[in-house]
Amino acid sequence: MPAAVPEIPLADVAPAPPPAAEAADGYQVRLDVFEGPLDLLLFLIRKKKIDIHDIPIAAITRDYLGYLERKTEINLDREAEFVFIAALLIYIKSQMLLPRETDLAEHEDPRRVLVDRLVEYEKIKAACSLLREREDVQILQWKRDFIPPLHGESELEPVELSLFDLAEAFFLMMKRRASDDTRTIRGRDVPIEVKMKELVALLHERQALDFLEYFEAHASLEEALISFFCVLELVKSRVAVAVQDELFQTIRVWLRKDAHRTAAHD
Amino acid sequence: MTDPLKALIESLIFVSQEPVTLDRLQSVVEGVPAADIQAAVDALVAGYEAESRGIRIIRAGGGWIFATKPAHDREVRRLLQIERKNRLSSAGLETLAAIAYRQPVTQSEVSAIRGVDSTGALKTLLEKKLIKIVGRKKAPGNPLVYRTSDEFLLYLGLDSLEGLPSETEIAKILEEEKAVDA
Repeated sequence: MPAAVPEIPLADVAPAPPPAAEAADGYQVRLDVFEGPLDLLLFLIRKKKIDIHDIPIAAITRDYLGYLERKTEINLDREAEFVFIAALLIYIKSQMLLPRETDLAEHEDPRRVLVDRLVEYEKIKAACSLLREREDVQILQWKRDFIPPLHGESELEPVELSLFDLAEAFFLMMKRRASDDTRTIRGRDVPIEVKMKELVALLHERQALDFLEYFEAHASLEEALISFFCVLELVKSRVAVAVQDELFQTIRVWLRKDAHRTAAHD
Repeated sequence: MTDPLKALIESLIFVSQEPVTLDRLQSVVEGVPAADIQAAVDALVAGYEAESRGIRIIRAGGGWIFATKPAHDREVRRLLQIERKNRLSSAGLETLAAIAYRQPVTQSEVSAIRGVDSTGALKTLLEKKLIKIVGRKKAPGNPLVYRTSDEFLLYLGLDSLEGLPSETEIAKILEEEKAVDA
């Protein structure tokens, strides 16, 4: 299927006034209902009853840009993704306009890159509708591990935190210290084993540590980082546990009761 | 199969918060052939399907687990004070599907399939434990590699990844959608 498509010169495509046909059937769709640029393209292809393997690039590009023009709010991240596909469409069109001596073989069709992506995306979308059906059934069957404990309003269970939560809290704190001069490397080398012993000793002595307070007390960035790795290591090896009483409250770290013995042996 | 065995298996499935596999049951109940355990499970499953029972044993993630029956959802939620159970957002489900079918994948591969930056959706799925990080890819930047988790199977009631909608099922859906459009 070479470029035997009704040709519309590119010059007509780019400035994209709101397509007359669109206005005539009064069919308005907001851009934010689409999951992304591929979703929008699939919608346009379906609406025009176009064969996905033989897309009239010029016409589709015009419709596509028409939708982009209709945007009222600008969200740079989303915008970039839509513009990227617009650029790809225009690139494909330009490739197709290049004069060639012989007809292109099918696998050389410049549209191929886009078609492959669309076909794959279409499959994922279809799988989604099947998975959604499953989810809708499963969500009604309560399993014991999904059930939160029944509790009164006053007694909230402390939440045990994952390594990700700890990392997030740590980076948040590092951001606050961003004003520090991080370009100069100073301070002494602190071996991780030494720091680990210090930390375990401190946990034994004080029972619990305030996560953020502990790091803020450190003089240098290197030392704070090393201590952070120690905490991660302890939580990972289940020697210590990180707990948050309630969302947005401070994180406390303490030794696991059953780990007291093992830690003491070291 | 003996009734005591059936009762024993029932206890084991009951206490377990994740699906128990046949292998696991067999290693716990020593000296009983797998076929007998399987028969005990089958009898239990059939027994719970009776209308007088509020819970059932479902097959998911390669094993069995207790679950409430769908008809009781409203009252269960009222008891637990959960207004409504959150379904995944469409971005979340799309990202999950892309990972499920193309795993192991990196964030940029998922984003390429969807044509949309998927960092946020991946983070949510990680928090929900539906996906997990399995390592890093030996490629520039050593990006993290993701897979679906056991919770994913349980969440969608799949026995294994083989249970994901097949190419044929997907093709059928696409045919139907085209027929509606035409």
